[in-house]
Order: sequence, then C-alpha cells, then structure tokens
Amino acid sequence: MSGEPPSNPKEVRKYLQQSHDRIFESNRKWASEQKAKHPEFFEKLAQGQSPDYLWIGCSDSRIPAEAVTGLEPGEMFIHRNIANLVCNTDLNVMSVVNYAVRHLQVKHIIVCGHYGCGGVKAAMTPKDMGILNPWLRNIRDVYRLHEAELDDIPGDNDKKYDRLVELNVIEQARNVIKTAAVQQSYEEKGFPVVHGWVFGFNDGLLKDLNINFEGELEKIKKIFDLTKTE
Amino acid sequence: MSSSILDAIDRIVAGNRVYAQQTSEQDPNAFKEWNKGQSPEVLWIGCADSRVPETTVCNCKPGEIFVHRNIANCVPADDISSASVVEYAVTHLKVKKVVVCGHTKCGGANAALADADLGQTLNTWLHPVRELRRKHKTELDKLPDDDARSLRVAELNVQQSLEVLRLHPAVKRAINERGLSLHGMIYDIGAGQLRLLEASGVKKTNGLWSPN
Ligand SMILES: [Zn+2]
Ligand SMILES: [Zn+2]
Repeated sequence: MSGEPPSNPKEVRKYLQQSHDRIFESNRKWASEQKAKHPEFFEKLAQGQSPDYLWIGCSDSRIPAEAVTGLEPGEMFIHRNIANLVCNTDLNVMSVVNYAVRHLQVKHIIVCGHYGCGGVKAAMTPKDMGILNPWLRNIRDVYRLHEAELDDIPGDNDKKYDRLVELNVIEQARNVIKTAAVQQSYEEKGFPVVHGWVFGFNDGLLKDLNINFEGELEKIKKIFDLTKTE
Repeated sequence: MSSSILDAIDRIVAGNRVYAQQTSEQDPNAFKEWNKGQSPEVLWIGCADSRVPETTVCNCKPGEIFVHRNIANCVPADDISSASVVEYAVTHLKVKKVVVCGHTKCGGANAALADADLGQTLNTWLHPVRELRRKHKTELDKLPDDDARSLRVAELNVQQSLEVLRLHPAVKRAINERGLSLHGMIYDIGAGQLRLLEASGVKKTNGLWSPN
C-alpha cells in the first residue's frame, strides 16, 4: 500500500477501491498459507484464547506488536493508543487491563513506547492541538514530573525527546502497577509482572528499560495500595 | 518453541532479534525508511483479542496500518482515547480508510449476551454492547444458537462504532473534502477470513447534529 495517490476524483475512487481489495486479497493469501502450514490452526484458535502477554503500545503503524515480537495469533492481547498511555480515568485502557488480568490471567504486561513517537513529539511542541490536548496533557505531565532531569540534558532536543519517550513508558508502567487488578492478582498469584520497553527504528530492536517491578510496587504502595477490598 | 520451555519474556526478546535480523536481510533499507516517519493508508479499529493481529491477518507490512485496539472494538462517543486516535490518524496522518473490524467468538459480544457480573469497569465499558442486545432482542431470539447471536451482536456493534465515527468532525470533514471512506468488517477466527459488511444502517441526519 504505497505509491503516489492519484488526484482526480474518479481516479481516487478507483485507487481507494484497489487498496481496499488488496486487504482482502492479502488476507485470503495469508489464510490459505496458514492453513497449508498448519491444517488445524484456525480450528484451534476458534476454541478460545489464552495469551501470556498483554501489550500496551502506540497506535503507530510501524510497530505491529505480534510481528516485532515474532508471536503467532492467539499469544498476545493487544491495546494500542496514541503514545501508549495508561490514564487512570480512561475506561478504555482500564477495561483492557482488567480483562487481561482478571479473565485471561496474563503473566506479563508490556508497556512499549518507541523513539520518534509522534504523540510525544506533539506533546513537546507548545501548540494548541484541539481535541488532542487532553490526551497529550498526560505526556506534558510526564515532562513536568521529570523537568529537572530533562532540562539538564545538554545539546539538541533529540536527546531530550528520546529520554521523554523512555520516561513516558516508565510512568505508564507505574500507572499499570497502580491498578487494583494488577496489585490484587500479584499478591494472590504472583503475576502479572509489568515491563517497560522501547522500540527503536534504527535496528528494529526492543530495549528493556529494566523496570524493577517489585521495587516499583513497594514504592507506590505507600499511597496507591489497592490490595484491600471493601 | 513452547513457552513452557523458555521463559515467556526471553522468548519474545529472541523473537524480536529474529524479526530485526530477517527484516533487514529482506530489505536493508527497511528500518532507515521507517525511521523517516509513517504514512499509513488505513486506520484499523479492532478488538484487543490476541487472535486478530491486524497486520498479520491482512498480510501487510509494518507502516501500512495505524491501529487502535480495545475490548470489543467499541467507539463510545465520549471516549477520549479512540477520539484522539481518530483525530491523529485522519487530520494529521491523512489516512484514506477507516476500518472497524469485529470478529466471531468475541469475548465482549459473548459477555454482552450473558448476565454475568464482570465487575464495575467491564460492566461500564460493555454497557453499550449490552444495550444492542436489548434493542435487537426480537431479532436475536430468532437466531439458531449462541454463536449466531454473538456474531450478530458483533456486526451490530461494528455498525454502532461506525455511526459514532461518522459524527466525528475530522471524519466528516475528510469524507467531504478528500473522499475518506469507512468500512465495517468481521474477521472469522475459525476460517481466518475477513468479510466486508454491507454499508447498511447509514442514517440520514435528522437535523439534530451534523458537523461539517
Ligand atoms: Zn508513537
Ligand atoms: Zn473480541
């Protein structure tokens, strides 16, 4: 799906139809290849899912979670939004975490950001972004929390930008740890463990930010302990 | 390679190394190109279900599909997360198509058809899907089994998400100005195939609210 799009309306319609057809063509090709390789593949999937992982990543088209981790369909539950945010008042992400932890009982939760993130870049730009303002505000707040460290970074903005991407992942991972679902499941069963990673386009590799899950859990508990129910 | 042998995290770290190596072997410029930016043509709004990885099932390459995935591919009108994704994809990235894709055997659709208490968070999120069950009770009761009812709820839910999207100001503008199109699909998990939903349910605006 690349190449110059045409400009006259009739051509545009034809072009859109083609790129549309291509999705179905590609899908049919994939399905028949998969079936040829493993005849029972789809029947097994139809019986249910039991993924070990929950992935919370950016909507960015360049990072399809299952592809960059080499996983098969059925192995990773996936939530993707702008700049991989985990906001405490966002029912969308909270219902994903809740379902993944309480119903699917995932063992690992990975918050994955990426260098060159458009959402983080927009948040670093002092500009009115309309309806995106409230969402980007969460990233600006990460900047505020780590203002001293970020402002101390010498040289051009690129290093600051990379570091904000990392700090954003760490804060969002903390937000996952602050949820009742994660705290209660970990106390009861010893999982899930929360990880913070960053994907780099230079080499296509995932960088582990080495979040100390147990240490973070202890640290946040003073204020955010939700293990006790009513 | 089974996850019982290797630690689950070691396994995907290894999987990522293989991905990085194979990708640059196949196209030495791939990462250099992606480093420059993204220009996806499609915004995909799909279910978080692990069995429907959009880029894999569409046999697409990284860079082709911008993605939002949540429980049961819902687009509630007051949801700031999906609204932000739509705004970014349509206004800033200028995608040409928005796809809402539901699927068979959807846990969210099944939950909406049952009466179990899923806890406050999930009960609230799935409330609009449960409302579909109530609104379409007569039709759903006539269907032969639970799988058929679940599929029908998934279809209705896709249509409901599309209706909300049509009212998103950025979407409306892009439809008028540059021919952005919206599409509903169902992915059949048991067959691995995508099916396009008929463009039904397009309501004429009744004068209440019509952004332009
Ligand atoms: Zn991003
Ligand atoms: Zn689903």
